[in-house]
Amino acid sequence: MRKLGSSYDQLRKVALRNRIKILDMVYSASSGHLGGSFSACDIITYLGECEIDYRAPDRDRFILSKGHSVPALYAELNELGFIDDSELSTFRQVGSRLSGHTNRDKVPETEITTGLLGQGLSYGVGMALAKKLKKSKDTVYVMIGDGETHEGQVWEALMEAGHYKLDNLVLIIDRNGLCSHQLVEKVISIEPLRERLESFGWLVKEINGHSMEEIDSAITSLKAQYGKPKCIIAHTVKGKGVSFMENNGYWHRSIPTEEQYRAARKELLEQMGEE
Amino acid sequence: MLEQYGWSSPKDAVGRTLIDIAKKSDKICVLSSDVSKSVNIFEFGDCFPERYFEMGIAEQSTVSVAGGLAAEGFIPVYVALSIFSCCMTFPQIRQVCNNSLNVKIIGTHAGVDDGADGPGHHATEDLAISRVIPRLTVLCPSDENEVAAAVKAMVDTYGPVYMRVAREEQPVIHGPDCKFEIGKAEMLCDEGDNFAIVFEGSAMRQALEGWEGLRALGKRGKLVNIRSIKPLDEKLILNLADKVDLIVTVENHSIKGGLYSAICEAIANRECRAVIRPVGFHDQFMDAGASSDIKEKYGLNAASIIKQVTDAH
Repeated sequence: MRKLGSSYDQLRKVALRNRIKILDMVYSASSGHLGGSFSACDIITYLGECEIDYRAPDRDRFILSKGHSVPALYAELNELGFIDDSELSTFRQVGSRLSGHTNRDKVPETEITTGLLGQGLSYGVGMALAKKLKKSKDTVYVMIGDGETHEGQVWEALMEAGHYKLDNLVLIIDRNGLCSHQLVEKVISIEPLRERLESFGWLVKEINGHSMEEIDSAITSLKAQYGKPKCIIAHTVKGKGVSFMENNGYWHRSIPTEEQYRAARKELLEQMGEE
Repeated sequence: MLEQYGWSSPKDAVGRTLIDIAKKSDKICVLSSDVSKSVNIFEFGDCFPERYFEMGIAEQSTVSVAGGLAAEGFIPVYVALSIFSCCMTFPQIRQVCNNSLNVKIIGTHAGVDDGADGPGHHATEDLAISRVIPRLTVLCPSDENEVAAAVKAMVDTYGPVYMRVAREEQPVIHGPDCKFEIGKAEMLCDEGDNFAIVFEGSAMRQALEGWEGLRALGKRGKLVNIRSIKPLDEKLILNLADKVDLIVTVENHSIKGGLYSAICEAIANRECRAVIRPVGFHDQFMDAGASSDIKEKYGLNAASIIKQVTDAH
């Protein structure tokens, strides 16, 4: 499915619209994670618009292991008609379907309830094994944060995927360079990340995770390769899209003041060509 | 004592029962974390290689991989020593339950049944940490035939389940046609109201020996196999608490958080006749040694059960 044809400009516009929804959700809830949602937004938008047919019961899967970035997924699911506009303002409230991390029971399209970092890739391994058993051609996508690779379970799953040669599994690492608020490299170094992944039996591509052209090219080319699990190291910017939030660990889970909210919204609207 | 029964290791029923079930259901998968020989599931891999996943010494990932298989409609069964499959995987089991996924986890070598490996391998807290997780069913069948029936019941019921199974030989008191209903305890003997012994499956031998000893002393009571820690058969327990003077819980587990705690919680908010006394392990790490020797040294034995009853009378 490729709803928007190959119009990267249209995809960029949807991603900007999603960023505004993310900002509105977190601001109205006074709770949530802007930085990581913005860094993951372009890839999540691309997957929703171009790859995953959420209306099919058996489908490609997308597991957002860094579940705190779920505003980006809710925004895209709203774009696709699975979440009403009116629901977005209920984010993180009691009684809402829109939990602070993905929740399979409440929003089945989020696929797996995550949030305790480190577990999502293992679910992806299980789903990829299941898809092979069912002789399905579906792909399982999993997104983790770069800081999430500090979790030991990630490396268990990386080893297992390599061992079972799960070529229907695509891992996307949101390499925004920041853990909760400090540089990943300063907290615990994860480099050389690419070489480590390759030594675990993975095919690895590095891209600019905000370029729709590069996202499209990486996913398309990796899908045509077989025999190994695949990883995209997506170099991204935490807080991408709002100048004063970019690359600033303060915005991992800080809530903008009204003035900051207005300034951020104005910037995003300007990028869309709207005032 | 108990010479009228045959004896066998209950865990041996797990692998062959799963093979029987898998012949009829192509949804059953088995996961191992490098202990397939100890827990007798390697034959499953020989029979159904495509549905058998050796995950290596990676218990945490194994539970979550089982979650992924379940999300795609399979019924994954992860079998390992309970210290590995349950005690090392609390956050992963909790996440499976938060996802409402149909994952089955079996922990063999319950309690001190891997005695000689020492306290690092004694699973004397698995009931405590599993029964507090919402949505998780917790089972503790006793002998080989009951374990086989419990494995079938577990697979037939949708939802996450943890089941602990003994390694130490147990008398086979159930027949091969044994029926197992989740949430229902089994009244094995009902001879009077002096006392009741309520035991979890891996402590059955000691419970039966205590029962025989009390009978020899002329005490008349009831003998209950709890079978299911969660859901607990509260109806039977409350009824028991109104009828007998004393309930002695017998468990191959810490007396904190396991069977004793579950039964105390069930009756503590109402007046009843019975006092509840525990037989099990106290809040401590224990010696390495043969499991029967550990049970004897640390008081999981007939003498402790008899003493609890005779002290009360």
